[in-house]
Amino acid sequence: MASSFWKGVVGVGLFALAHAAFSAAQHRSYMRLTEKENETLPIDIVLQTLLSFVITCYGIVNISGEFKDMDASSELKNKTFDTLRNHPSFYLFNHRGRVLFCPPEQEPSTPSAQALPSNPLRLRKLENYH
Amino acid sequence: MLSVSEMLKMRDKLRKWREENYRNSEQIVDVGEELLNEHASKLGDDIWIIYEQVMIAALDCSRDDLAWSCLQELKRQFPDSHRVKRLAGMRLEALERYEDANKLYDSILQDDPTNTAARKRKISILRAQGKSSEAIRELNEYLEQFVGDQEAWHELSELYINEHDYAKAAFCLEELMMTNPHNHLYCEQYAEVKYTQGGLENLELARKYFAQALKLNNRNMRALFGLYMSASHIAASPKVSAKVKKDNMKYGAWAASQISRAYQMAGRGKKENKCSVKAVEEMLESMQITMS
Repeated sequence: MASSFWKGVVGVGLFALAHAAFSAAQHRSYMRLTEKENETLPIDIVLQTLLSFVITCYGIVNISGEFKDMDASSELKNKTFDTLRNHPSFYLFNHRGRVLFCPPEQEPSTPSAQALPSNPLRLRKLENYH
Repeated sequence: MLSVSEMLKMRDKLRKWREENYRNSEQIVDVGEELLNEHASKLGDDIWIIYEQVMIAALDCSRDDLAWSCLQELKRQFPDSHRVKRLAGMRLEALERYEDANKLYDSILQDDPTNTAARKRKISILRAQGKSSEAIRELNEYLEQFVGDQEAWHELSELYINEHDYAKAAFCLEELMMTNPHNHLYCEQYAEVKYTQGGLENLELARKYFAQALKLNNRNMRALFGLYMSASHIAASPKVSAKVKKDNMKYGAWAASQISRAYQMAGRGKKENKCSVKAVEEMLESMQITMS
């Protein structure tokens, strides 16, 4: 899966960061021991720190999922009244669906019922779903 | 039998339908029933909310057996939950046992007077029984206490529109527009209510809010048509000055050209495009407001 690759990247980046920190601490104690306080941190430790930071950031961004648009109204461009008008806390159930979608076994077995197709509204799974 | 990846896809679809308030109950029952019967173990903690979603969809589709089994599972897992009691009440409502449902909700409210869900269901019971004025009154009282409940404001505006009390419906939509300034649909619905109220000031206001809805979302066709109609209406009114008439005819002409262009772009590449475009132009012509 892609996310385990990026998790690996974040892990490697964090490990490299910790390694760079440890080497910097070791370098500092070495400086103190050899009394050469004027030497700056070696450039490879600095590079390792910066590079591992960038790798960690990049890995985290790829784990954390999709970005959203800054423009608040752009998310709503595809929203329609079909879904906006539905208030789940106020749903009523006394609508035609109670009769329309009634399973065929519950219908009375009159000759006219035989002519009815077996619930033509029943959709095929998966392929029809948008 | 679905594979694991298909099952995850279905679970994500169910989540999308749940979060965006889709009421495609037949599909939910189809997909949800299969997920629950065959893949219950792989769903983890999601399973309870899927039970709730499938139960409500089953009530819509008159699948009382499925609704009952979902309710039993939820009762077993959450024995003293108000949320599950509310679902039991909804099932009673679907079976039209309104007194029993009312008693259940009253017991929830006795336990927890701040429970908004039970109050909203009681309002829905009033609405289902056709007592719209009482439902409106109860909803108003509810909104005095819980001013921020946007669903309730929208429901109240719908109730007022059904009663043809457009001024109050406009007030509710104004509340919604205030809290959601970036939502073009509320602007557009407000403009439609103002247009329905009629009268010159309301038409001007309607035109402005249709324009605002278009500014927020330039693909909103209803707002474009609304702009065209309100501008034409103002231009055809006898009481306006010549300048206003000219301006509105200009707006109307712009809206008409945008509509034709939108239909042309939509029909690009299809061979019936020319006839459709001509049909749109004829429709716009026939919608011209003439002074009678």
